[in-house]
Amino acid sequence: MYAWIPLSASADLAQLEAHVSPEYGPVRVAKKLAGGMSNAVKGVLVERNYVDKDYRSTYYHFYAKKGQHYRADCVRLHFFDETVTFDENALKLTCRDGPDYLSDHYFGYMVLRPTGIATIGRSVVSPDVRSGASRYIITAKHKVHLLGYKLMVQGFPSMDQHIDISVCAHAACWSILRHYSERYNVYREFLTHDITLMAHQFDPGGLIPSKGLEVSHAERVFQEAGTFPVHVTRDTKRASDPSFYRQLSAYVESGFPLFAAMHKHGHAVAVVGFEWRTPANSALPGMRYAWDEVQALAVVDDNHLPYLPVPVRGGTPYSGEDIDAFIVALPEKVFYPADAVDRLAPTLFKLGSVVGLPPQDETIIRYFITTGSALRNFVRERESELDPKLLATIMTLPFAQFVWVVEFATEAQWAVGQVAARAVIDATASLREVMPLWLMHSSTQALVFNRLTVSLDLQTGIRGLQLSDMGHGGFTRMEKNLRPTQTK
Amino acid sequence: MDRDKKEADVFEAIEGLTPVDPHALADFQRAMNDEVIPEIVKVVEERRMLAAESRHWQLKC
Repeated sequence: MYAWIPLSASADLAQLEAHVSPEYGPVRVAKKLAGGMSNAVKGVLVERNYVDKDYRSTYYHFYAKKGQHYRADCVRLHFFDETVTFDENALKLTCRDGPDYLSDHYFGYMVLRPTGIATIGRSVVSPDVRSGASRYIITAKHKVHLLGYKLMVQGFPSMDQHIDISVCAHAACWSILRHYSERYNVYREFLTHDITLMAHQFDPGGLIPSKGLEVSHAERVFQEAGTFPVHVTRDTKRASDPSFYRQLSAYVESGFPLFAAMHKHGHAVAVVGFEWRTPANSALPGMRYAWDEVQALAVVDDNHLPYLPVPVRGGTPYSGEDIDAFIVALPEKVFYPADAVDRLAPTLFKLGSVVGLPPQDETIIRYFITTGSALRNFVRERESELDPKLLATIMTLPFAQFVWVVEFATEAQWAVGQVAARAVIDATASLREVMPLWLMHSSTQALVFNRLTVSLDLQTGIRGLQLSDMGHGGFTRMEKNLRPTQTK
Repeated sequence: MDRDKKEADVFEAIEGLTPVDPHALADFQRAMNDEVIPEIVKVVEERRMLAAESRHWQLKC
């Protein structure tokens, strides 16, 4: 039932073949793991006869109907560091720090399906042990029950496509929705077979799902799951469409994984993170955006281990700039689209003389969605950075649930993770609002907007607030939605 | 609580607020009315059209 494979080098993963029967594809899996996992993984626990609900959902509806006999059970691989050993007789995991700390030395799991091809099923692996994983990854905590222990791993779900009953787009939808069900308790869990059904108005049956999905089918999956998908497509008639990529990075920075389509490759992936380029004094004139500072995206691609780093341009097999449409599965109350924020953000410099912004052509703009409560929590944790009057303002304003935050940083501030000023935009604002703001502030001035009336009066609906400079070089950049990878 | 009271409460609850000269906001207001809002409305409609085209893209790799 259980077997332990100690690893001193990645080549030791070849032992998997001795413990796992060929229908689970151990040779291919070992090769894939050896090429993509770091040497911090020092032990693999093989759990046989594992009942995997995702595989079972496809087994009951497809594999059990075939003439060829498929097994009903899976194998699950668990990854540990060097402090953990396994007592095969006592069926007990031993950790140098004690059993209560097993999760600190656990890197996640990978289910192997008995399907002969594309055998990697539901997996949640920590980005910390993925070679080359990007710096910032969207993750959730996943509970794992093993041998009576309750373990925890922080990662993003992934799986290979089944090929015969599901394709890349199903796998990307499944990954995103599994993340949602773990991260937000408002969303339920959807199994692989559920996803293939949700894509269509009726059950297409048989192998129809393997013929591929259209982007509209993916949109339908997210609608059926109870989210409010926003579908954004690059304007390919123009030479470039930087606003498209700025919005893409804004949603990822907001903690929303994206269903990303690449038309020329006929491929879909989930975008789940990014890596900033190394800050350098470029002395380049002109305003820039956070997207201009992104070096690579992290994607969950069903042909690779998760967190595949994809350079913005010049990558193989594809680049970030090959993405030409994406779907972001938003909660209901985000009415003000990223396109509007993208146009509004540079216009806010016209309030610069009142608020005190850095010169426009020396500024890096970053925008993202967060909740009012996350914003309050962020400033509460850094209250020494804020004039108490500003802190009180942020605690007092009756934000709607979601807000867009625009941060303005000089190049020097950007390099050290700081910002000069912030604007808080109402995510429930309508497109035609002249002042869709709650607040805009620097370290010396703030503008406060009264949004308790529909017709904002410039005389009475906006107030200024003189702030005391708290003596720092900038406010901390708000980075709360993605987990920094701790490479092991 | 009536509307006027609610409006007053937000600003009354925050210490140190001062009136802002509307002229200082005029340039922003003009840019929003004359350029930014029409551009936002146009670009959102363009994105909607582009999305309609891409809905039929096949994904099967």
